[in-house]
Amino acid sequence: MASDYDLTQRIAAHLDRHMVFPLLQWLQERGLYPEEDILKAKIELLNATNMVDYAVDMHKALYHTEEVSQEMVERRAQVVARMKQLEDAASPITKFLQNPNATQELRNDKQYSLQLLHDKYQIGPEQIEALYHCGKFQFECGNYTTAADYLYQYRTFCTNPEKSLTALWGKLAAEILMKHWDIALEELNRLKEIIDSKSFSSPLNQVQSRIWLMHWSLFVFFNHDNGKTLIIDLFNQDKYLNAIQTNAPHLLRYLAAAFVVNKRKRPQFKEFIKVIQQEAYSSKDPITEFLACVFVNYDFDGAHKKMRECEEVILNDPFLGMRVGEGSFTTVPLRDEFLENARLFIFETYCRIHQRIEMRVLAEKLNLKFEEAEAWIVNLIRTSKLDAKIDSKTGTVTMEPHHVDVYEQLIDHTKTLSNRTYKLVSQLLEHGQPQAIR
Amino acid sequence: GDSETEEESDYDEQEDNVAAETAVQTAASRYYTRDSSDSEDSERQGRVIRRIKDKRFDEMTATVDHMKNAMKINDWVSLQENFEKINKQLGKVMRVTEADRPPNIYIRSLVMLEEFLNQSLANKEAKKKMSSTNAKALNSMKQKLKKNNRLYEDLIVQCMEKPELFEDQGEDEKEPEEEEEEEEVVEDDFDDASEPGEDEEDEEEEGDDGAETGPGWEKMLSKKDKMLDKQFKDASQITWDIVNKKFKEIVAARGKKGTGRIELVEQLTFLTRVARTPAQKLEILFSVVSAQFDVNPSLIGHMPINVWKQCVQNLLTILDILTQYPNIVVDDTVEPDENETQKGAGYSGSIKIWGNLVAFLERIDVEYFKSLQVIDPHTHEYVDRLKDEPLFLVLAQDVQEYLENIGDYKGASKIALKRVELVYYKPQGVYGAMKNLAAQEENEEGNSTEVSKPEQITKAPSAYVATPELVARKPTFPESSRALMDDLVSLIYKFGDERTKARAMLCDIYHHAILDDFSTSRDLLLMSHLQENVQHMDISTQILFNRAMAQLGLCAFRVGLVAESHSCLAELYSVGRVKELLAQGISQSRYHEKTPEQERLERRRQMPYHMHINLELLEAVHLTAAMLLEVPNMAANVHDAKRKVISKNFRRLLEVSERQTYIGPPENVRDHVMAATVALRQGDFEKAFAVIESLDVWRLLQHKDDVLKMLKAKIKEEALRTYLFTYSYSYDSVSLEHLSKMFDLLESQTHSIVSRMMINEELHASWDQPTGCVVFHDVEHTRLQGLAFQLSEKLAILAETNERAMEARFGTGGLEGLPLRRKDGYDYAASGGGRWQDLSFPQDRQGGQVARRGYNAGGGGGGRVSSSSSSGANNRRGGSSAGRNFGTQMDGSTNRMGMVYLNRG
Repeated sequence: MASDYDLTQRIAAHLDRHMVFPLLQWLQERGLYPEEDILKAKIELLNATNMVDYAVDMHKALYHTEEVSQEMVERRAQVVARMKQLEDAASPITKFLQNPNATQELRNDKQYSLQLLHDKYQIGPEQIEALYHCGKFQFECGNYTTAADYLYQYRTFCTNPEKSLTALWGKLAAEILMKHWDIALEELNRLKEIIDSKSFSSPLNQVQSRIWLMHWSLFVFFNHDNGKTLIIDLFNQDKYLNAIQTNAPHLLRYLAAAFVVNKRKRPQFKEFIKVIQQEAYSSKDPITEFLACVFVNYDFDGAHKKMRECEEVILNDPFLGMRVGEGSFTTVPLRDEFLENARLFIFETYCRIHQRIEMRVLAEKLNLKFEEAEAWIVNLIRTSKLDAKIDSKTGTVTMEPHHVDVYEQLIDHTKTLSNRTYKLVSQLLEHGQPQAIR
Repeated sequence: GDSETEEESDYDEQEDNVAAETAVQTAASRYYTRDSSDSEDSERQGRVIRRIKDKRFDEMTATVDHMKNAMKINDWVSLQENFEKINKQLGKVMRVTEADRPPNIYIRSLVMLEEFLNQSLANKEAKKKMSSTNAKALNSMKQKLKKNNRLYEDLIVQCMEKPELFEDQGEDEKEPEEEEEEEEVVEDDFDDASEPGEDEEDEEEEGDDGAETGPGWEKMLSKKDKMLDKQFKDASQITWDIVNKKFKEIVAARGKKGTGRIELVEQLTFLTRVARTPAQKLEILFSVVSAQFDVNPSLIGHMPINVWKQCVQNLLTILDILTQYPNIVVDDTVEPDENETQKGAGYSGSIKIWGNLVAFLERIDVEYFKSLQVIDPHTHEYVDRLKDEPLFLVLAQDVQEYLENIGDYKGASKIALKRVELVYYKPQGVYGAMKNLAAQEENEEGNSTEVSKPEQITKAPSAYVATPELVARKPTFPESSRALMDDLVSLIYKFGDERTKARAMLCDIYHHAILDDFSTSRDLLLMSHLQENVQHMDISTQILFNRAMAQLGLCAFRVGLVAESHSCLAELYSVGRVKELLAQGISQSRYHEKTPEQERLERRRQMPYHMHINLELLEAVHLTAAMLLEVPNMAANVHDAKRKVISKNFRRLLEVSERQTYIGPPENVRDHVMAATVALRQGDFEKAFAVIESLDVWRLLQHKDDVLKMLKAKIKEEALRTYLFTYSYSYDSVSLEHLSKMFDLLESQTHSIVSRMMINEELHASWDQPTGCVVFHDVEHTRLQGLAFQLSEKLAILAETNERAMEARFGTGGLEGLPLRRKDGYDYAASGGGRWQDLSFPQDRQGGQVARRGYNAGGGGGGRVSSSSSSGANNRRGGSSAGRNFGTQMDGSTNRMGMVYLNRG
């Protein structure tokens, strides 16, 4: 049941091989799938990488043997040999980079640096390319630190924008895998800029890049402190939303979750509800369905049910269900936040259309106990988020009727008019002047 | 004329043959008939004694004699007549003799004429004496002769120098003729005896003929063919040159006056059998096909069906050859070398042949389409014709495969479009039927091969270059039509040109709509931006667009999206020319008469009957959708009903029906919907539904019951809404239970509907949860307040108009205060393709994102004009503008069509 809403398969298609490991690890912990299947999947993954040692361990764990197939041993030897070869090729430049005195001679000017390297240290384009290959190989072997280092250095010397871009992707992946979220975020923004500005060979490529970027960014956003705001900033841009709608509707879950927990983004939220309504046919996800129940169908019982499903989904999602552990006590911060806000959503909408509600029903709707609900409502009234009173004798909440004043409405309607007209006139004058001079 | 009869007789004979083998019992009677035919033939034989060539020559000599006589009496008028006559005869003689120079007798007469003319001109006195008509004739003769003689200058000079040479030659010419005649006699003997040692070519025709009808019959009817046969009598003597020469000759005759079109086809077909090399055969086959296209000269009529079928077979043979010899290349851009086709089958280099498979196939398609347009759809003929569709599909499939193999994807995509256009309008059921038909035919073919074998055997050796049937003769269909469409369409998106892609996209939309896949088909429509571009396309594509829109509307209705359905269909009905817009009949316009030219053009655009979208159903859907939207809308805005009109068309009809003093029982779709409207306005959902349900057209829907169930639910909902709008003022509170019971709805449904109305501020009320009641608030605006609101809205419109005027004058600079609608409109115009982009459509990058916004608005507009105006006036405006955008497009297309009439008329 729970695996129905598991997105790993769909997400993994847009990730780098190495980034799938954490996801599989997560699945293993959650126990949604048979352990053996996951181990097999892991080995499958590893076979295409150069992390041979790790693969050997996995193999042992899966088949409970100490024997290692000949193939793997051979492969290990190959990998080591290849690594050696690449290291050798890149050695001039790595040596140069390790020498702090030498690196000080470098300047911000790329051309200058290249010239310097060439003249003084006999480091030509071949060596620089070797650095790139070496970095890539290190990454494939799982040495993310070295890889990130090499790729960073490579980018300072690189003149080929294509190569530079792939190096950047590599760097981002390495940072993500090392869980350096701040640096990863920087890289992410850099990458985003390039993707948005660059004239791609085909629009299709661009859309694909955006989708990759969004998938990769999930790692960053759900680990970074400010991630829940940033994810909305990124995903809710027209271009990215467009990409989501066309190619990756499953990402709507994350955007929806981010919207729910984020109170500051209400204006965009309304627009987002519309998107959800449109995409309702293409993606079945408890979180988006919850929003649809509350804001489109006003089906509060349905919303109530969906809320439970949402909880499960959040717990099982590798990004949303991130655990925060304090000693032996672990919490899922996002779950709590989500449920709290979801409750508020239901309540707000519910209150808008009622003038009197029984506390008992309300408590039920909010997944709370009676006392809890009362306390919760009192809190809301106290913080003046709610214009209501509790009638404790009958056990009901009575809303104060709220009518928008007619005059306010009228002023609202006409307020912008003068501004607009003023603008228009000034523009007209602007246009008029040059002609008058002529 | 004659060739056709020959064909018939051939056909009869074949039948006879078959009959002979199958039914021996009837031999006696058959013998009798044969006898009778024999006697007939012998009579004819008696009549036909002189050979046509001689006859022609005699005619000519007679004319020359006449001319001589006329000269003697100096009668220029009759001379002129005779001169014209002899020229006509010349043409005939030339054709008969197949000579490349005119006969000597003609040249001699020319020389004679010229001499006489010069004499007469020199003799001025005689000239003066002539009557005026005679003089006139003389003058015109002078000019004509001059002109005519220029053609034969060399010969005339020769003749003048050595007249005796021409005399001699003339006699020489006689000799081979006689020889020929002798030969023929010998041959006839053979024929009569029907010996096995006959020539190949004659075998199939004359072998049978000889036995049954006699040679004379044959001779009289197809002299041409006989002549050909004679030239290619001896198989071993036929060389490439001979065939080539003959071929050129025949082709040269094409299009000339007096050349029978069908005759031409037959001659060429014969040539294909004796062609020496595959390349040559191919070249000739191409000519056969083009000659077949010429059989029907007029634009309106269609190609005879049997010719069409032959044509398809010929094309299949062409494909056979092309597949067999991959080194032969078909190209229509380069002028091929004269002797290109001389290269034999063994030649390994590439051979270029002139031809264009794509154009041929398209032409075949056009002819098929035309035939369906012309044939009366209520006859068996039409059904039979429809059964030819698999035949065309297989050809298209083969051509496409061939083109793909040689890497011509552009051509392949065009062919794919043709296939798409045959499939897109078929629901799965019809598609399955077609598939079964194809399979069935295959079985039948299997059975009938045994019967038709003898015929094939006699025919087989006749072709010098035998071509095995390499390409498939049966179409292969995937299980579902969708799969086929997907295949073809993705090919087109990848390689097709702009128009092909647009058409394929429209077909795709149409097909998705048929399969009730509304969201996909809407996405395709919005992202392809066809709505903006369709005005610039040709009329046939615009019609396709209209059809797709209509189908989309039907689809939306079937899946229960009433508002979307209405916005798709509204514009189609706004002008009242649905028939014309869908090309399903010619509507009479009251206001302007069409010229015959316009009418003819329109007739040529008509859709064949089997592709029609049922207009009655369309109208029912449109009006029902309009009713569901408009009735609560009218109830909500009782005070200024004119302001928010969703369907003008519906309002107008309602007005008309209200004006009637006596309303009879409903007869047509319109009456039904009007009756339902009246009931619905009173909240009587049961009656409303009953009236709508009684419409007969719903039976055309595939899931009729589901649709009606949906319709009932919708009617209940709208009845509830209407009721609340109308009577909420009279209540202080209503219980949920009561409402649910009244409208036969579940409490949860009622709750959801009423809640939505509250949130959208359509209904000023709130729930009282403990008692389960709706409590109405009294928030009626006073008259003054209402007027103030109206004023403010008018002001907003004024400001907007100003901005638009400004924009029109100076272009869209940085007007930030632009209202949403304008921005949207601008985006539509400026943006490229959304989904197209994903289909690797080279478009401006900017397009995609902007497109999406347009798309959002479009979806919103379609979806929630009535149901959610929660996000305020701004949103609603955005929505309705998008809805209108659906509209303006259609509007544009209609205008465009009107304009086209004017231009061409």
